[in-house]
Amino acid sequence: MKLTRRQLVASAAGAALGAAGIYELADQLSGSPARTAAVPLEPRSVEQHVLDGIPVVEQDGVQVIVPPRHHLVVTATVKPGTDLAKAQPELEQALRELESRYEQTPAGLGLTVAWGLPYFDRYVAAAAEKHVPFDRRAQKPALLPTRTFPSDPHDTRLEENDVALLIRSDRLEHIEDARKTLLDDLGVFEPVSLRRGFVGGNLPRKLAIAAGVPGAYLIPHDSELFLGFTSTQKAGLGPRRIANFETLGLVDLRGGYFRGGTHMHLSHIFEDLEAWYLNFEFQERVDTAFRPGLKVKENAQVVPQGPKQVSSAQEVERDFNSAGRFGHSASIQTSSRLLQDTTGEDGTLYVKGTAIPQRADFNTLDNPFAWSADPKRDGVIAGAAAGVHFVVFNPSSDDFHRNRLAMDGVLPDGTKLQLQPQARGQGFNSVLRTTHRQNFLVPPRAHRSFPLAEL
Amino acid sequence: MRASIVAGAVALVLAAGAAAVPTAGKSAVCPAAWKAGWVKLAEKIHAPVYCPTWMPNPLDGRIGGQMQDVYSVSPDRSYLLSFVSFEDGGTGFVHVNFRGYPGRTTIPKCGTVTTAGNRAIRRMVPCFADPRGTLRVGDILATAYTVNQGEDEWHVLYAWRHGGSLYTVSEHVHPPYTYKQVLNNLHKLMHSLVLVEPAQ
Repeated sequence: MKLTRRQLVASAAGAALGAAGIYELADQLSGSPARTAAVPLEPRSVEQHVLDGIPVVEQDGVQVIVPPRHHLVVTATVKPGTDLAKAQPELEQALRELESRYEQTPAGLGLTVAWGLPYFDRYVAAAAEKHVPFDRRAQKPALLPTRTFPSDPHDTRLEENDVALLIRSDRLEHIEDARKTLLDDLGVFEPVSLRRGFVGGNLPRKLAIAAGVPGAYLIPHDSELFLGFTSTQKAGLGPRRIANFETLGLVDLRGGYFRGGTHMHLSHIFEDLEAWYLNFEFQERVDTAFRPGLKVKENAQVVPQGPKQVSSAQEVERDFNSAGRFGHSASIQTSSRLLQDTTGEDGTLYVKGTAIPQRADFNTLDNPFAWSADPKRDGVIAGAAAGVHFVVFNPSSDDFHRNRLAMDGVLPDGTKLQLQPQARGQGFNSVLRTTHRQNFLVPPRAHRSFPLAEL
Repeated sequence: MRASIVAGAVALVLAAGAAAVPTAGKSAVCPAAWKAGWVKLAEKIHAPVYCPTWMPNPLDGRIGGQMQDVYSVSPDRSYLLSFVSFEDGGTGFVHVNFRGYPGRTTIPKCGTVTTAGNRAIRRMVPCFADPRGTLRVGDILATAYTVNQGEDEWHVLYAWRHGGSLYTVSEHVHPPYTYKQVLNNLHKLMHSLVLVEPAQ
C-alpha cells in the first residue's frame, strides 16, 4: 500500500503521541511480508534463540537471510514478593499458550526469555553457583557482569535487569499478543523498558523520513539498515547451533542444566546518520564498515562476508599501519570467526572462518527506548532518533567481550591498534554512541521459566 | 572570523525564507546593494562569477556585509567566499560557501590526515565526493555532492562547469536547517544565480 504525502505527514504527526505509532507505519509503508504461518511445529527446538523458517534470498550474488520484520525487547525485574515456585509454572504455561498459537518462525512468533545476573544473584544464587556454565578459556563464569568498552561514552549505562524478553515476528499483532500475555496477564514481571524496532522491507529510509530523523534522506532507498549495508549475509552469521554453550567446547556445562542455552548481549546504540553520510564518501564507508581498500561495486549494499573474506589479526594490523584505519567487520572477524576447522559437540563440521555470533539486532527510532519505567534515568526524550538495539548470541560473555574489544582495535593476539576513542579511523565507532548494555543468559527451552528456581 | 551574531530573539524563518524566490533567467539581476562586491571579485579573478539573488534566511549575499565571512583568492585565481550566521546559544548556524576555479574544470584534491599511533597518514581525496543527482537550471547542469572537504565539510554542495571553469555553492547541514531544507535552500539559491562578468 502506498501512502499519499498527506497521509505520511499525518501519520508522522500521530507517531509523536505514542512510540509504537511509528512502527505501525511499517506495514503501511512496505506492505506485509509475504510469508504464511503454518501449524505450530512440534517438537520445538531445544534452543529458544533460534528461529525456524527463515528464508534465504540472493542479493548481488550473496545469500542473505530475511529476519522477522518487527522486534520488541522487554526488560523487566521480577515483581517483589513473587513466589518463584508458583510463578515458574505460570510463566511456562503462558509461553506454551503462545506457542500453541504461533510457530517459532518469522511469520509466527519468536520468543526468547533471557535472564540477567541480578536474577541469578538475588533469587537462585546457590544453584547458579553450581549450574551456570563456566568459560574454560576465560576461566570465568559464562555469564559475567556487564562492562564498558574503550569506545563507549563515559555515561553508558550498565543495566541490572532480571530478565529480557526478545519477541520477534513479521506481525505486530503477534508481538502485541505476546507482550500482553507475558506482561499484563501474567503479573510476575515489573517492566523496566520497552524497545521496539524493525529490519529490512526497505523501511529504514521510509520510517526515518516519516519520523523526521536528521539524515533520513541520505539513507539509500532500499537499504536493510540505516547505515546502508546489509548485515544478514548468511555466511556472516553463526550457523544454527554454533552459539550454544556446548557446541564449540568453550564452556564447561557443569552438569548440563543449561545445555542448549547460550549467552545474549543487549545494547542500545545511537547512530549519527548525518555524520556517516556527510563525512564518509562511499569508498570510505566500505573501508570503515568492512576493510580498507576493499573494492565493491559503487553503492553496493551487500558485500560478501564468507570464510574466504575473513581478515586475520595480521592483516588488520597491516591495514591499520598503511591506511591509518581498520574495518569494522575485519577487526571483529579476528575474534568472531573460527581459526581452524572445528567439529562441534553435535558432530557438525564448522570450517575455518565460520562465524560464531548469531546477530539478532534491529534498527530503531526509540530515543533510546519506546518506553521506560524511569525516563530520566534512561535519558528518554521526545522525538525519534536513529539507532540500533543490538542483540547478539555468543557462547559466553567473554566471547562477546573479545569481539567487542576487537571492534575497538584490541585484537585477540594482544595487539592494540592505537586510535583515540571515536577517532575517524575507527569508522563506525565515530558515528555510534552506546547508551545501555547488559549481558544475559539464555536457558534452553526446557528451563526458560525462572531457571533453577525448582532446585 | 567576521561571523555575525544574530540576536536570539530574532526568530529564523525556515526554508521558505522571507524573501521572494527569484526566477533564474535573463530578467534576474544581481541586487544593486550586492553587485559592486561581485563585480570586484570577477575583476580580481579575471573571470565571471555567480552572484546570488536569494540567500537562506538570515544571510544576505553582500560581500563586505555583516554576514560575509571568508574572502580568499588564491594565486591560481580560485576563490572561496563564505557567508555565515550564528544564532545565540549555538543552536542556529547558517553557512554558505561560493567557490570558483577559473581555467579548470576538474574536481580539486584535498588533503586529509588520519593517525596510526603517533604517525600521521596523509592522503589526497576529491574535495567533493558522493554525487547524488543533478539539477538543471538554465544553462547550468549542476551535480550535488554530499561528502565534501575543508570549508565544505558537513555541507551539501552543487558543482557545475561554465566557460572552462568550475563553480560550486554549498550550505552546511546544521540546525535550524535539516538536510532536506538545505537541499531546498540550495535549489532556490541555484535558481537565483546571475552571471556577473568582469567589467574590464
